[in-house]
Amino acid sequence: MPIWSSLPFFLLLSVVSTLASSPSFENTAVVRTVELGGAVVHVTTTYAIKALEDGSNVYTIAFSPDERKKTSWLEAKIKGQQNALPIEERLFDAERDYHFVDITLPKALSANKTTNLVVETILTHATHPWPETAGQKDDQALKYTTDLFVLSPYSTTVQRTKLRTLAPRIISFTEPKGVEDFATEGSASKSGATIVYGPFHNLPPSATQKFIKTYQQPMTIHYFHDQPVLEILELKRAVEISHWGANVNTEDEITMHNAGPALKGHFSRLDHQTQQFYKKPAPHVLPAINLHLPAGIRDTYFYDLIGNVSTSRLRVAPSLPKNKQGSQYSLLELRPRYPLLGGWNYTFTLGWNAPAADSISYDKSTGRYIVEVPIMTLFPGAVINDAEVKVILPEGATDVEFSPPFPALENRISTHITYLDTSGRPALTFEYKDLTLKHAQNIYVSYKVSFAAHLKKPFAVATAFFSVFGFALIARRVNLTIHPKKKAL
Amino acid sequence: MSDYDAVQALYRSLPSFSPIIPVALLPFLALILLASTFVLAFYFSTLPKDTLPIRETAVASTASILGGFGVVALFCTVGVYV
Repeated sequence: MPIWSSLPFFLLLSVVSTLASSPSFENTAVVRTVELGGAVVHVTTTYAIKALEDGSNVYTIAFSPDERKKTSWLEAKIKGQQNALPIEERLFDAERDYHFVDITLPKALSANKTTNLVVETILTHATHPWPETAGQKDDQALKYTTDLFVLSPYSTTVQRTKLRTLAPRIISFTEPKGVEDFATEGSASKSGATIVYGPFHNLPPSATQKFIKTYQQPMTIHYFHDQPVLEILELKRAVEISHWGANVNTEDEITMHNAGPALKGHFSRLDHQTQQFYKKPAPHVLPAINLHLPAGIRDTYFYDLIGNVSTSRLRVAPSLPKNKQGSQYSLLELRPRYPLLGGWNYTFTLGWNAPAADSISYDKSTGRYIVEVPIMTLFPGAVINDAEVKVILPEGATDVEFSPPFPALENRISTHITYLDTSGRPALTFEYKDLTLKHAQNIYVSYKVSFAAHLKKPFAVATAFFSVFGFALIARRVNLTIHPKKKAL
Repeated sequence: MSDYDAVQALYRSLPSFSPIIPVALLPFLALILLASTFVLAFYFSTLPKDTLPIRETAVASTASILGGFGVVALFCTVGVYV
């Protein structure tokens, strides 16, 4: 499941600086479907490809720099199959205005054989509210800009782009200009919640400077969006493992931000109550959010700077064995202290305890413990701008190894000191950027704790007790009585 | 990514973590151990003051060890999972 982060340096697995000299593929049809959301835009591009030479097994796709910057997830599959294909990004050449990504097909195609390739990408921070301010009762409208053509280093017989909104309320969309060479039947059409650009016929290899300069143009769609646009500015997760208590404590420090249009005017509590009462909420106001937490949790706490927040309801699912995690979840209906209007932030801490048997496994032969740590709590439809996951291992853990599902921006190992610690606990920190629902996976950390290391804590406390006894030992033998005065003569 | 898949498969096939002392026993253990520590500390205070404090050290060490385990069990019982 290859994923990349917004910085292009992390998946430079191979350096191929020259373009394939002779095109070995041809696109018979390219369809790009864009599902427009608020913070997250889901783009699925289906390439129907035909091999022109025998043994072609590396297919190249192209991105504009703008789209590459916004992409936080990319996965390529053969249509109908489950396995993700290996992808490699080529070194970016600043002279050319596009990025190339090579996809290795599972089986090399012989000449004139066809197959369908489905490339799914998730774009974050791709929409912006327009108008940028809105009153409390106003509607929310967003703008999304994309390039008209899907670039490809191979020629394309027919291409279309479909943009789909959640609600069928589209305000406007740009009409393409100067594409008469390719568009015989009209270049843009709208029906309900979908806008179709195309079909465009007989495109030459478009990943060239000449094509981009002549024909490529930005298309903007302006649409009403009926759900709040939610961004998590920062997520700090700390997962603390305890062997004595057989417990894994997960604590999230979350900063929620409503990335919709900023509030124009003041917030009227009366208007807000009226809207809630008549069940006509404004689309950009976030009064509550439902979160899925793991099953089998206990002692959940939700507090912010002011103190405990009691406006939440938790329905806990019974504890699941470790191999079934994720099949059921506990539901938390979380209501922040105040409704989140456009441009507002809310920072809070959410934490829970879970039995260690649900997330840790033990290998008796090697003495290794393996713990499964979910990277994030899933906020529906939201993007997490900065995430930091800290895994705090028990005191005396050695031989620490970790396997993240996708490479982190930064890994650190440090020492964390908490109750009854003498030498501190090893803490692994992973830093990520722009996480979406596809990134909600688990990190596996394995470590060893010897029996002697387990006993460190009780012996530390015993030493403290003994020092008190030792002090008592000495103090009993010291005579502090004031000598009685000699009897006066 | 085969490394990740291998670790995931290994994680799934291994038995779950089980603590040395079952968690349900910890409150009772805390009570018993701390009560014994208290009793032994009281006994320590009544011991005669010998020049070579062998008996005193022995009682003090036992009380400390019991107290050490008792405090760890107490922390886990009240919810501070150390």
